[in-house]
Parts: sequence; C-alpha cells; structure tokens
Amino acid sequence: MKLTKARALVLIAISVPVAIELRTVAGFFNVELPLIAVAVIEFLFLALLFVLYGLYGEGSESAA
Amino acid sequence: MATASGGGSEFVDKFPDEAAIIKASFLIAFVSLGIGAFFGLIQALHRTNVLRVIDSADYYTVLTGHGVLLAIVFTIFFLCGVFHWAVARSLDRPAESALFSWAWVGLMTTGTVLATVAILGGLVPNLGMSADVLFTFYAPLQAHPIFYIGLAMFIVGTWLAGADWFLSYRAWRQEHSDERIPLQTFMVLTTMIMWYISTLGVAVSVVFFLIPWSLGLIESVNPLLTRTLFWYFGHPIVYFWLMPAYLLWYTVLPKLAGGRLFSDPLARVVFVLFLLLSTPVGIHHQYLDPGIAEGFKFIAMTNTMFLLLPSLLTAFTVVASVEHGARQRGGEGYLRWLGALPWRDPAFTGMALAGAMFAAGGFSGMINAGMNINYLIHNTLWVPGHFHLTVGTAVALTMMAGSYWLVPQVTGRKLYSRPIGLLQVIMWFVGMVFMSNAMHRAGLAGIPRRTAEPQYQNFEFLTPIGSIFELRVQIALGGTLLFLSVVLFLFNILLTSLGEESDRPVDSYLPEPLSGPEGSPRILDNLTMWTGIAAVLVVLAYTLPLAGIIQNGGGLFGGGLPVPATVSAGVDLVLTTVTSAFNTLWGVVA
Repeated sequence: MKLTKARALVLIAISVPVAIELRTVAGFFNVELPLIAVAVIEFLFLALLFVLYGLYGEGSESAA
Repeated sequence: MATASGGGSEFVDKFPDEAAIIKASFLIAFVSLGIGAFFGLIQALHRTNVLRVIDSADYYTVLTGHGVLLAIVFTIFFLCGVFHWAVARSLDRPAESALFSWAWVGLMTTGTVLATVAILGGLVPNLGMSADVLFTFYAPLQAHPIFYIGLAMFIVGTWLAGADWFLSYRAWRQEHSDERIPLQTFMVLTTMIMWYISTLGVAVSVVFFLIPWSLGLIESVNPLLTRTLFWYFGHPIVYFWLMPAYLLWYTVLPKLAGGRLFSDPLARVVFVLFLLLSTPVGIHHQYLDPGIAEGFKFIAMTNTMFLLLPSLLTAFTVVASVEHGARQRGGEGYLRWLGALPWRDPAFTGMALAGAMFAAGGFSGMINAGMNINYLIHNTLWVPGHFHLTVGTAVALTMMAGSYWLVPQVTGRKLYSRPIGLLQVIMWFVGMVFMSNAMHRAGLAGIPRRTAEPQYQNFEFLTPIGSIFELRVQIALGGTLLFLSVVLFLFNILLTSLGEESDRPVDSYLPEPLSGPEGSPRILDNLTMWTGIAAVLVVLAYTLPLAGIIQNGGGLFGGGLPVPATVSAGVDLVLTTVTSAFNTLWGVVA
C-alpha cells in the first residue's frame, strides 16, 4: 500500500491525540513521562514517517 | 433511498430555486461561522492570557456572540440548507412554493440580524443595548428585548422551514400512497418533529416571560422556570445539530467511501429513537439546581443514558458501511482496509475524523450525564471541552466537510482545491485535539467555565499530570489552529463559488442501501404515532417538575424563594389545577 500525502497527513493527525494522552496512559502504570519525552517521541514518529514517505511514498522509486 | 439525482450539476439545473435557497442558507451560515470563529480566537487568547485585545468585561459579549453565532446561527442555517437539499433530492420534486421558502429564509435572517445587533451593541457602551446573557439565555441575566425578539423570529423561521418540507412530503405522498418515505426525507421529518416539540419550551420562555420582562411589562420572572424551559429545548438542540450530521454520515459518507449504507431500517430506528428520547432529558443540565428534587434528576439521567443506544447503533452502521466501501475498493484484513479509504477526499476525511472525535465526545458526555460524577466537572472547562467535540467537531467539521461535496452541487462549480480542503479538515482535527483535551483536563482540575479571569487569590489550580501553563498553551494553540482552519475553509468555498461552471463538478449519485426499507415494518414510517409517544414521554418527564417549580418558586412570575420541586408538590399543584378546572366546568354545566 502506497504512503500517499493524504495518508501521511491523516497519520500525523491521529498521532497528535496519542502523543497528548501518552503521559496519562503512562500515569496508569506509575510512569511519569516529562513533556519533553512526549515531544521527542512525537518528533521521532514524524521523522520515521518522513523516511517511510521518502522510501515508499508517492513518486518514490519503490512505489513506482 | 431515492437516487434521482445522478449528474453533478443536475441538482442546480433541475432545482434552481432550491439551489438558490440552499446557497442563501449556506451564505449566512458561513458568514456567521467566520465571525463566530474570530470571536472564539479572541476568547481563547484572552482566557489563556496570551493576547488580550478586549477588556475582560467585554469577554462575555464576545462569548455570547461566539455561542449564538456558531451554535445557533451557523449550525441551523446550514442544516436548513442540507434539509432543503435532502427533501428536494430524495422526493425528486421542488418545494411547493419558492416564495414560502424565501419567507423562512428571510424571517430567520431578520431574526439573526436583530439578535446579532443586540449582542454587538454590548461593545458600544453609549448605545444602551446589550445581550451579554451567553448562549444559555435564561434569567436572571437579562438581554435587550431585540435579542429575544430576534431569537423568537429565528425559531419561528425554522418552524416555517419545517412546514415547507412537510408540505413537500404531503404533495409527494398524494402521488405515492404506497411507497416508503425516502430515507433522507424520513430523517428530515423526524428531526423536525423533534424540533417542534422541543422548541415549545424556549418559545414559551421567550414569548411569555423574557420579552415582557425585558420590556418592563412584568416586574419579575421565575428564574428556575426559565432555566428549565431553556434546558427543555437546550438539550434537544444538541440532536437538532447532530441529526443533520447523521443524515450526512448515513447517506453520503458510505458513498464517499465507495460503498453503500449498511441498513436503511436501522437508520430509521435511530431517528425514531432520537425523536422519542431527545426531549425528556433536559433536566440533566440542572443536576446542581437547588429547586428540583433528586428523583426528577434521576429520571432525566436514566432517559439520557438510553440516548446512548441510537448513537451506538449509528457507530455500528456507519462504520460497517464505510468498511463495506473500503472492501469494495480492494481493502482487506481486520484493519488494513482502513488504508483503502479515500483519504485524499476532504469531504470523506473530514466526516470520518468528525465521527472519530464524536466517539470521544460521547464518552465525556457520559460523565456529564452521570448524576453523581457530574458534580466533579459541573460548570468547569470540561463542559466546553465536551461540546467542542460534539457540536464543535462532530457537527461543525461534518458540515464543513459536507460543504466540499454539497457546495459544488448547488453552485455547479468544481471545488477550488481539494488539498487545501484536506489540510483544513486535518488542521481542525489537530486544533480541536489540543484545545478540547486541555479543556477537559483543566475541568478536572476545577477551572471554571464562562469566566474571563479564572484566577483566585492565594489559590492555584493543580493538575495531576503536566501543568496549568501547558494547558493554557494547548488551548491558545488549538484555538489559533481552529481559526486558521476556518479561514482556509471560507477561502476555499469563496473561490469555489467564484469559479467557472462545470458540467459535472461532483459525483452526486447516492447508491441504494445494502439492506433497503422493504423488509422493515411499515410502522417505522408512522410519524403520527411516534409524535404521540414522544409527546407522552415529554408530559411524563416534565409535568410534575414544572408544576413543582411553579408552585414552589413563587408562581409563574417568581417572587418566592426556590424550594426543591418535589413529587408531592407537583402532584398537589396538578390536583389543585384539575380540581379547580373541574369545579369551574361543573359550575358552568350546572
């Protein structure tokens, strides 16, 4: 399945509530995540998505 | 479901008068959306202390404008346009009288202008006119009479709009005596019956109490009575917003997904349940009102919980329909089919994200509706956090997304930009996640709603996770993204309506449901019976509380101290009234 711009945008959108509630979920397990940790995790996710889009996205050689 | 309209520009060509009415409704809706969203931005930045361009005293004027223009004018004008489209399309006939249609548009517009002038008058101190009563416009806050008169005209306008659609249905029925009511028309009619029943409360409150009171014709009102009459209408209006969104989810979203509606009868059951259950629940907004006994509040809570059923049925039916569409497009697996959906289409993506947000809004709504747990979040920022997920996203985002499919149909012009549309709906989703999440969490920390200055001396709000500063930043960021999203939306729609005409601006064909209405009992279409049952439920839920409120609150026009409206007090008043009426009648006969 190609990673289109639209799919990438939707994945980014869905990642925002997950990132925001990450500390709450971690709190259920007595893990205190600082805000910076959440920011780093979200940044890493976006970076991964960017790489995947480069490899398998529209216009990439793999997708073609 | 009737599938008369096939080609894209067919609607505007086939029903030019209806298209003009719909365009006028959408225009007023979108102007209100722009102004209301701007007010929202001002509030978000003011409350969070990021940027203050108004005095805190004016915050309430802006808040009233935001609430009235978005929650009443934008939503209702837009839904009137959608309903006008749905009735003409599904019955395959124009309205009985274009003049009559323009009459309700004109009346609603006049009412909107009057109410807006009264609200904005609050920003000009020398004018002597204000309506800083917020969206919940009950006593003891008092507005200028023009505000109430404008609202009354607006409501009467919606009644006329409903009459317009019932007249179309009656004319259609005379030619199709044995046919089932087309699904979209069925949805419009059940919604309007619910609206007629529920607006009786606000009509009585405005016409008999608030207008005479604001004009100085009567000295006082019974505040609890006006509050109760407001909430009699104030909760069903949620479904008046939501049912048009459901109409789009049931009849348009499956098509956009590439599939068909899963079950027509289930959709009818859902709308009948909303008709029956929407109104006898308003007291759940009054759990902390001292003048109503706990027993009545418990009944309202029970009725409210029943309302989860049609929403859960909707979640099942709509997701099943969308999954069917995805599989038609080659989607496979338990979840991989999600990737086969048309995410490039802003109309689809916006509605799908709105539906997902509605699930979260439904869960926070269950907290609001729970009589005991409500005490935790009552009148806190949690509540606006909740309704920004429901009306602010499930409804508003569905309406904006639906516009990307509907506006080309009624203008005959292609959408200016799908990528901008996609960015807009995504931006709304992300902005609302930031803002609504922070509002919910702030509410749990006890931060109140409806105030420009939520700080107390020698007291600091605490959050279990994160900090209040973070929440303020989230709210300001979310509010800004939401405003930018509205700007993008209005820009896209404006350029669409200014674009060149197209023979087929959008594929407007709506396919038949997988399971049609043929196998379902015809009693589902018996609108008279459902109306009767809905009225009986309202009488059962409200007679005794209202009687108690009138008896214990100093009569219809107040003057006494509030005493809890108990069952015995209500029974006493009803018995006294009935006995008195019987004696009078007996005297006349004798």
